[in-house]
Amino acid sequence: MSSAPAVRTVELVKRYEGGEITALDGVSVEIARGEFFCIMGPSGSGKSTFLNLVGALDVPTSGEVFLDGRALSREPDLDRVRAREVGFIFQLHNLIPTLTSLENVEIPMLGLGVRRAERRRRAGELLESVGLGHRTGSVATKLSGGERQRVSIARALANRPGLILADEPTGDVDSRTGEQIMECIHAARRESGATLVVVTHNPDVARGADRTLHMKDGRFA
Amino acid sequence: MLVLKNLLRRRVRTALSVLGITIGIAAIVAFHAVGRGFRHTLDRLFRETGAEMLVVNRLMKDPAFSRVKKDEQDFIRGLPQVEHLSGGTFTLASPRGLRITGRMDMLLVWGRTPGDRLIQKFRKRMEGRVIENDREIMVGKMAAQGLGIGEGGELGLFGRTFRVVGVYESGIQLENAGAIVANSVVQEELNIGESVAMAFIYLRPGADAGEFRKAVEARFPHLQAIRTEEFTNYYDQLQYIDWFVWIISLVSVVVGGLGVLNTMLMSVSERTREIGTLRAVGWSRGRVLRLILSEGLLISAVGGLAGLGAGVGGAETLILWAPQGLSTRYSALLFGQAFGVAVLLGFLGALYPAWQASRLSPIEALKYE
Repeated sequence: MSSAPAVRTVELVKRYEGGEITALDGVSVEIARGEFFCIMGPSGSGKSTFLNLVGALDVPTSGEVFLDGRALSREPDLDRVRAREVGFIFQLHNLIPTLTSLENVEIPMLGLGVRRAERRRRAGELLESVGLGHRTGSVATKLSGGERQRVSIARALANRPGLILADEPTGDVDSRTGEQIMECIHAARRESGATLVVVTHNPDVARGADRTLHMKDGRFA
Repeated sequence: MLVLKNLLRRRVRTALSVLGITIGIAAIVAFHAVGRGFRHTLDRLFRETGAEMLVVNRLMKDPAFSRVKKDEQDFIRGLPQVEHLSGGTFTLASPRGLRITGRMDMLLVWGRTPGDRLIQKFRKRMEGRVIENDREIMVGKMAAQGLGIGEGGELGLFGRTFRVVGVYESGIQLENAGAIVANSVVQEELNIGESVAMAFIYLRPGADAGEFRKAVEARFPHLQAIRTEEFTNYYDQLQYIDWFVWIISLVSVVVGGLGVLNTMLMSVSERTREIGTLRAVGWSRGRVLRLILSEGLLISAVGGLAGLGAGVGGAETLILWAPQGLSTRYSALLFGQAFGVAVLLGFLGALYPAWQASRLSPIEALKYE
């Protein structure tokens, strides 16, 4: 394992619409391995854009993202980076509605060609760990909002990533369910030792973070 | 897992796409089976005569209009390679009283020389005897049933009355559903003198067919001497039938392919966010492409298999309503080709939607409402 930080960004800039809109304006930050790093800020401040660039979902206009010391701009296959190294938890969980909980958790493993028996076993264990061992056969549309988000946490952990990125993970549920979801995420982080980057409006979600930075107008305040 | 579930989430739409393919493939199978059946029947018809060669008129590519005149027949008979020449004529007639449910009220009437070897083969499976003069007729079993007549009865045809001297059974539907009279009857009816439509040539043992051909065609350039088994190549109308069959098949197939294209385009559009999720969790463009292509291929494979069954059913129904004498013929090659077309359709129909899906940027797809 390298001694490089889990995430390092250097002068990260993201502009849209031919440069008229600047979403990120030269963000440089280091996030240590295993850190719980929280980003807060108003809507449109650039939080989600930052998360998308760090998670290799999007590419910066300029600047660089390093994951474990490796520059993403030099990675030949960003799909593989996403599949192996990053686990996403979205605000709207984004489960495949026709699939069961178990099958949804298997999806990232399909991307890496994991064999069926191994996929099933690992997905079952992950669902057990988020308290959904009894709902493995339920299709996503039959689950409550909190359950769906817990399935998406299990899905984010499917390929044992070193980095978990959560974008408003409690944004779509009530406060009590939100607490349960954050407990679930923290338990998963403790178990895996992964670095956790969470974007949120909610101060409760940021509680317990190793570091919380506020973002405004595309920069950390 | 995903392929089947994605297709089942819009069952009616998927079923309609499958139906489109089914109809296209059924059309291919049914029309080709009937076309090939017709070709096969003609092949057998001429092979079973036992003649090695046929002489037809080169200028008339349809045997109905082919004429080989009396002097031409005499010349051919005199060639050293020829052991025997049998003249053959035929026409369609509407005998009084012919009623065969669901079929055309027509009777295929073959003209043969009484006592000639061309009609001897019928002796094996017949009640009564073969014709001996131009007042007699022998009738195929199917035609006899349709006419409600039997050996010893009478049949009104061409404005005269024939005595039914025999009812024969043939494995060839064109014969079974027809009747045989003396050549002179058909010649008189068609007003063709002593011409025949074609001459069946029995060569002497060891005779050179090539020499025979040269001799006939050198003397009469408008005549063509062909091997019996080459008849279906000479008969140009069969080529038209083949073209017709292919054009109908092609139209059906294009419609089926457009169905798959439409279904997959809609499906991809509805699932934009999901495709974004797949890309976000690490699915490559290639994997997304394969997912959509697999869905199209599954639709076409199911439609193709159903089409093979429907095609057989369709062909058998088609010949029930077609003129008598038609039959169907299937082969593993036909089924293989038809199924291959189905799979190709599924592939082509899903290719553009799959490409479109694979081009989606994960971030844009996830934002899609």
